[in-house]
Amino acid sequence: MTVAAGIGYALVALGPSLALFVSVISKKPFLILTLLSSTLVWLISLIILSGIWRAFLPLNSATWWPFAILLFTSVAFQEGLRLLFWKVYKRLEDIMDAFADRVSKPRLYLTDKMQIALAGGLGHGVAHAVFFCLSLLTPAFGPATYFVDRCSQIPFFLVSAIIALAFVMVHTFSMVIAFNSYAEGNKVDQLFVPVVHLAAGMMTLINFASGGCIVGIPLLYLMAILTLMHCGRMVSRRLTENHRQGSS
Amino acid sequence: MAQNQRPKTLLDSLGEEIIRILVPVSICMFLVVLLVSILDSNSSASVTSIAAMAYSETSSDSSWDKFLGALLNSLAFVAVVTVVTFILVLLFYLRCTKFLKIYMAFSSFVVLGFMGGEIALFLIENFSVPIDCITFLVLLFNFAVVGVLAVFMSKMAILVTQGYLILIGMLVAYWFTLLPEWTTWVLLVAMALYDLAAVLLPVGPLRLLVELAMSRDEDIPALVYEARPVIHHDSGLGDNTVQRRVWRARSNFRQDSEDNSNLNGNVVSDSNSTVGTVQSSHNGTRIARVEEEQVSERDAELSAPLIDHGRNAQDGMSAERLMLEGMGLGSSGAIKLGLGDFIFYSVLVGRAAMYDFMTVYACYLAIVAGLGITLMLLAFYQKALPALPVSIALGVLFYFLTRFLLDVFIVQCSLNLVMF
Repeated sequence: MTVAAGIGYALVALGPSLALFVSVISKKPFLILTLLSSTLVWLISLIILSGIWRAFLPLNSATWWPFAILLFTSVAFQEGLRLLFWKVYKRLEDIMDAFADRVSKPRLYLTDKMQIALAGGLGHGVAHAVFFCLSLLTPAFGPATYFVDRCSQIPFFLVSAIIALAFVMVHTFSMVIAFNSYAEGNKVDQLFVPVVHLAAGMMTLINFASGGCIVGIPLLYLMAILTLMHCGRMVSRRLTENHRQGSS
Repeated sequence: MAQNQRPKTLLDSLGEEIIRILVPVSICMFLVVLLVSILDSNSSASVTSIAAMAYSETSSDSSWDKFLGALLNSLAFVAVVTVVTFILVLLFYLRCTKFLKIYMAFSSFVVLGFMGGEIALFLIENFSVPIDCITFLVLLFNFAVVGVLAVFMSKMAILVTQGYLILIGMLVAYWFTLLPEWTTWVLLVAMALYDLAAVLLPVGPLRLLVELAMSRDEDIPALVYEARPVIHHDSGLGDNTVQRRVWRARSNFRQDSEDNSNLNGNVVSDSNSTVGTVQSSHNGTRIARVEEEQVSERDAELSAPLIDHGRNAQDGMSAERLMLEGMGLGSSGAIKLGLGDFIFYSVLVGRAAMYDFMTVYACYLAIVAGLGITLMLLAFYQKALPALPVSIALGVLFYFLTRFLLDVFIVQCSLNLVMF
């Protein structure tokens, strides 16, 4: 509607990630590089997916099941990439540990590893917010606004910003959960991440029903809060274990 | 908190040099995107410049005509740039350094004064700023003069110098975005190819320039952005160290390596101080320069083991040192990137901004990835490398992929509120 509204929408989607960035990530250059590379990986995955699906677009927006297939393939592909990301990170961690030994600095602490995972997750989240919300926000800086039929009570920009915020939370913290569970070999948590991602995606399908977004978006936030709580529990458990091991 | 008492790990300092060169590049791109989106240039007059002299694009031509015209334009521009660079090499060979310096100062003044003035006029027109001619001229003149002094005298605060360099890059880049669309894209690709040829071919002008400068141990007079070298604060030493690491005028730079070589005996050799040069005449930056000096013994503890290793491994190119240099640790090297690189990256992103912001983000990520790859290659190959080709290639690729594939996909998904 105006520049103020445009900036407002952008901050709704990216405010918490900006806060995280300024307080945690901007202090360590390596985390900034991790964030940029994970954003790039997410972008590449999106481009590949759009390349695969280009032939089938535009989809008939009356039915929901083509979108379900699209969602399923996309989430599966991105979770596969997350595994690849983990393997690359593992190798990088070994190189960094070897290097640290050589210059007689301490090896990476557990908090360092978690910070790298957080930066990676934040990169994915920021990429989602940027490509699904911010890049469509250009008309919002102008004099008018835009409504979609699916969710006609609030402007489209606000809806996409709110959904983007939920997904930023899901992406950021599921990366921390995923890295921790791969490191510990915890199968349950390893499955938790793709399931939550898929469930969150499926929640957005509820928007297809008329008036669906009133139900769909709170459910999506439920998933985000679930991820957040699970991540918090896991992190505190690991940190107390580590502290107990270190001090014993 | 217990954390504060633990010794710092690698994570605190790794990669700082790369960030110090990424931040100004990002700022320059951001300013150009801002300018492009504020000043809607669709309605402005076409630019008569060297780059558009062979053919001026009109929207009624067919695609093939536009492509041919753009190709002609780019070839003409690259030819002009080649000739000018060869003249530069010749002048440098004939030791007309003073003339080159004065020419550089003059061109900076023209860019800041005239191009900056024109863009300021566009902005004043756009926002209806109430300002009179005389005030405007006084401000502009002061701005331009301070800029020239900042870029060519070393006594200014480093932030002012860096700020003015970014501004010069931004102004030139904005002017390039005013070219017609096809010409811009073909020109970018042509300049990337020229850069590749000029730096890597034995007969390339830039390679000749770098070799001349290295053999004479002189500086090349050019507009180059120098990131501040990384100072390791956990050393707790010496003023001697700090002096060595302070950003210096480029003319004093060679003195550093001589001091170091006196201190470290036969460890310092040409293979140790790797010089890949990022150079630019004011319209063409090509090579990426990473200068890595041997640090004195009393330097940060991080580099102390490096010196010991270095003394043992006299060939100086062991894998460990390569890795150290690749990660930018243990050396006080300041990464230098020529202004032409800034300009052409920003032109790409600015042109992407004229389509949509999605392409802007995609191209920004591509360029940053390309810059990272170039820096890694630089640490690996230890010689002069062109900074344009990888980034421009990735940027152009991502632009077209995003424009034709991603845009439709994302808009389809978003408008139906299906996201993942």
